[in-house]
Amino acid sequence: MTTATATKLPPSQHEFAEVIHRLEAGGAMLPDSPENLMQIIGIYKAYAVPMDFYWRDLLYIAERVFLNPFPFFKYFLPKEYLDLHNHYAGDDADLRVWQKGEASAHPELLEFMEKGKTFKMPKLFHHLWHDRVNMEFAEACMRAMLWHGRDMGWGKFDAYLDTPEYKAAADKAIKAYFKGNPVMLGMYKMFPEMFIEQVRQLSYYSNLGLFWEVMAPVFFEMSDRYDSGDIKSVPDAMNFLVNGIFAMAGRPIYHHVYIGDEMYEIIPKSCGFTWLYEAALPYVEAVFYRTAPFRGTKSYNAQVKQVPEDQKDFHYGILYADVFPVGTAGIPPTLLMQDMLHFLPNYLVDYYQQHCRGEDDMLIQLGISFQRSMYCVTSAVIQALRTALLYPLDDPNPKHLEANREFFESQLNRFKRPEARLRDIQSPDYR
Amino acid sequence: MADIVDIAVNAGSFKTLVAAVQAAGLVDTLKSPGPFTVFAPTDEAFAQLPPGTIHTLLQNIPQLARILTYHVVPGKLMAADIAKLNSLTSVEGSAIRVDTSDGFEVKNATVLAPDIEADNGVIHVINRVILMG
Repeated sequence: MTTATATKLPPSQHEFAEVIHRLEAGGAMLPDSPENLMQIIGIYKAYAVPMDFYWRDLLYIAERVFLNPFPFFKYFLPKEYLDLHNHYAGDDADLRVWQKGEASAHPELLEFMEKGKTFKMPKLFHHLWHDRVNMEFAEACMRAMLWHGRDMGWGKFDAYLDTPEYKAAADKAIKAYFKGNPVMLGMYKMFPEMFIEQVRQLSYYSNLGLFWEVMAPVFFEMSDRYDSGDIKSVPDAMNFLVNGIFAMAGRPIYHHVYIGDEMYEIIPKSCGFTWLYEAALPYVEAVFYRTAPFRGTKSYNAQVKQVPEDQKDFHYGILYADVFPVGTAGIPPTLLMQDMLHFLPNYLVDYYQQHCRGEDDMLIQLGISFQRSMYCVTSAVIQALRTALLYPLDDPNPKHLEANREFFESQLNRFKRPEARLRDIQSPDYR
Repeated sequence: MADIVDIAVNAGSFKTLVAAVQAAGLVDTLKSPGPFTVFAPTDEAFAQLPPGTIHTLLQNIPQLARILTYHVVPGKLMAADIAKLNSLTSVEGSAIRVDTSDGFEVKNATVLAPDIEADNGVIHVINRVILMG
């Protein structure tokens, strides 16, 4: 691996100096190798298909299911939302990111929804048999954003949820939704905050749905470009993501609710909330870094500080996850692995069969590929922030290069803790 | 003297900025008595943004307005006034870090031409679009 760097600074003394020099040379935290590239692109494709379901269903729940007290069928996506046009794919796109793709639901997704991994049967049976896309994963991500929302230091979304304007808009929608339902209106009168808090959660459904609406076509396009030979290296993949982050930065984040024929703007577009500040950066912080200790397979003793006191120090996201024990129970990341398993490209299936215990631990292997791929996405976020807030990598001013290095070092400090997988992903043998 | 908008239009090197200000409906504000301090990115500064960035912002006016108002500070602050400060609060609401220890830098942008006075404030020309954060 090369440590050659374009900078004129003395070598970094950081524990991850090699990675810092790579970032300074325009690379990613993930080493550049054909094997790494194949893994991350294959996983992006396998992730994009269920993501095409997640964003549609998140918006369906935020916009239509809304406060239904018995939302048994919230994962039963109506045709209207399967046909809903993605704003970044198809002929009528705002900005056509996925060049060859259609704007409505992905064909592989539709096929899976019909047959699952078993056979064609009514939706309800697929649902009860759990032979379906695991929306529980998407909801866990949404809840991580809701729970960490307050102190992430990015964007104005969470603070807005406490403003009188927000509460007034929510109040109007709640009253319209339960019009003619004295029981629920009575409940609302008794416990107004409980209802408002539910609406806040629904606003996060919308936030995450609008975020992933962008990411699905981005990942599909990356897969197509890899197949056609346009993306040839890990830095190529990362730079595609960096450009995507900028191109989408100004996409509005909002929450609209449809009750009957009327649309209620809980968070109007005119708030000026943006994809980058109010969705992408909070998402990366809440989901990649923080989330919450997973229940079920691993015990934590909070009294001996195995769980940090401050939420900002939480480190249970995919960048830290020990994929093996996580893969043994029905907890969120496992659900995602299960979802991706259905849509792996053939080259990745062949690859997993050659390693470890082959098909038997394909979920673990793809979970680790997913970890690598998310280190690439996080690298893109770090490089995008450096581009937006700091200086070009070839800046002639050494003070500027020093500022860039300080930024990279401060970012990598977050991976000094023993749980971080940055060390592991440097080696191809981690699988 | 002319106002902030007229100066920018007549200079000829702020075509993107002027078009964005017009699209965002901020012309009247920037022609009002103010006063304002405007950090004005040149056309080259906008051209450095990755492709698609401006396209999406022009489709979404409130979001565009937010980025633009991050370049505006209430009051008329000359370079000498700013030299006494570490940080300014933009009309957008977020802080703008300033550094005059070695030249005149506004966040990651360098001031190319300071103190262009207008009827309703002052313009400092910068070489990069600045972003919140």
